Amino acid sequence: MQETAAAVTKPADGAAGPDSRRSLSSSLSHVALAAGSLILAFLIWQFLSTVLFNPFLIPPPLEVMRTAVPMLMSGEILADVAISMTRVIVGFATGSLAGIVTGVLLGRIRLLHDLLDPIIELLRYLSPTAMIPIAVIWFGIGELSKYFLIFWGTFFIVVINTTAGVWRAPIARQRAAQCLGASQLQIFVLVIIPSAVPYIVTGMRVAMASSFMSIIPAEILAADSGIGYLLQKSSMLLQTNRIFVALLTICVLGFIVDRIFRFFVDRVLARYMSFVSQT
Amino acid sequence: MRVNNVRKVFESSRGTYVALDGVSLTISDGEFFCLLGPSGCGKSTLLNIIAGFEPVTAGSVTSGDKPITGAGRERVMFFQDAGSALLPWLTVEENVRFGLRVRKIAKPDWQPIIDKYLRMTGLDTHRTKFPSELSGGMRQRLQIARALAVEPEMLLMDEPFGALDAMTRRHMHTILLDIWQRTGKTIVFVTHDIAEAISLSDRIGVMSFGPRSVITRVLDIDLPRPRDLTNPKVAVLYNEIEALLAPDLARAAALA
Repeated sequence: MQETAAAVTKPADGAAGPDSRRSLSSSLSHVALAAGSLILAFLIWQFLSTVLFNPFLIPPPLEVMRTAVPMLMSGEILADVAISMTRVIVGFATGSLAGIVTGVLLGRIRLLHDLLDPIIELLRYLSPTAMIPIAVIWFGIGELSKYFLIFWGTFFIVVINTTAGVWRAPIARQRAAQCLGASQLQIFVLVIIPSAVPYIVTGMRVAMASSFMSIIPAEILAADSGIGYLLQKSSMLLQTNRIFVALLTICVLGFIVDRIFRFFVDRVLARYMSFVSQT
Repeated sequence: MRVNNVRKVFESSRGTYVALDGVSLTISDGEFFCLLGPSGCGKSTLLNIIAGFEPVTAGSVTSGDKPITGAGRERVMFFQDAGSALLPWLTVEENVRFGLRVRKIAKPDWQPIIDKYLRMTGLDTHRTKFPSELSGGMRQRLQIARALAVEPEMLLMDEPFGALDAMTRRHMHTILLDIWQRTGKTIVFVTHDIAEAISLSDRIGVMSFGPRSVITRVLDIDLPRPRDLTNPKVAVLYNEIEALLAPDLARAAALA
């Protein structure tokens, strides 16, 4: 995590020595605090489980670990993770792509925006969860319905952010490019779209989080595989241990995916992101 | 460059606003012309019209014999907010190269042009920096380098140094005058700072407070350069301009 912060500050000032030392010590204290926070959480968990409630309703941490190990070793949980992740990635990628293209068009073509904006403003209140029943009827309980639901959740968030980003490309920047001799197409491709990148990335990050939120209900209600299905099945069998394993898996998975996303943004898009605070 | 009886009306949901009403002006080639006036007098509007960003409601603007119909590549606009005018994801060198690229200048010529103008603006040791890593003055110099690299006839500057501290601003004046004298470009410079106008320009067009702004007076600044602001003639000019602006400032204050 601190790595990403260092990558952001590095281009901002070339000075290496004292700065990197400071960030190293601050990263150490950061890690220590994070570890402390996790230990505290486990202690509270243990307390809730054994003192306040009972170990059946809230299985204690060690019990959950004991359940998790064989699930990990047998590959059972990994198979579910792979299935859920595939659904998230396919839905997220297609939803983002469609969202960016639509958002750019809406941000650029006034008539199209005025025409479609009211529809988008209404449809975006239909969360993926609300769409589950109809998705099952349209696409069955196979992969397609899950792709559709994640796509649905991603699309609107990315569209709205992309449109805003295209809209807010500074007018001075467009005019400056125009003076230099840029054609309308060049202004669009070389000025407006890069200016919108921070907005697009922010939208995609929010959409990624939303994808994680919506894949679980989708799998609980309409699937025969995936983490959500594992939750559902364990609940039917009153296996609270396994439920907790599934819940922890979701936490860890979301965290890892977000870090990967940020790492990618810092590495590949850093030059487009560095000015967010400035303009 | 001739501005002929220009009228500019903005229509909005809040009503009609006559920004300019009967503005006429002639700017000769190679001249350093300042548009001076209080905030809200339509200087920037007039500059945007000269640039071709805004159409006139009535009247005409011609360059040579050709009317100005849109943003032309002969006139490069220069913005106060360099942070948004520059391309922040490109380095210093890449920002200059961007202009050459969109102007379709042959690739082999790029490097010598880039080198020439980065050296002229003192940025040649900062080529690989991003605009966010530059100081305000350096960003403005980068805007100058980028503008000059595409060889325009005219530089249009909208309060370019307004956001800089006084020391940096003085330094920028020296650099700008030096470049102007070396390149012979026509410069139209918008400012609300009387001292800045006197120290830079050949002529100053004083504008009245809007609505219905006009150019109330055009003054020749017939002083040798570099200009000494302690010269008694400067004080005379300063007072003269201040007296011209005084009724407007009083009106503006009364409105606020």
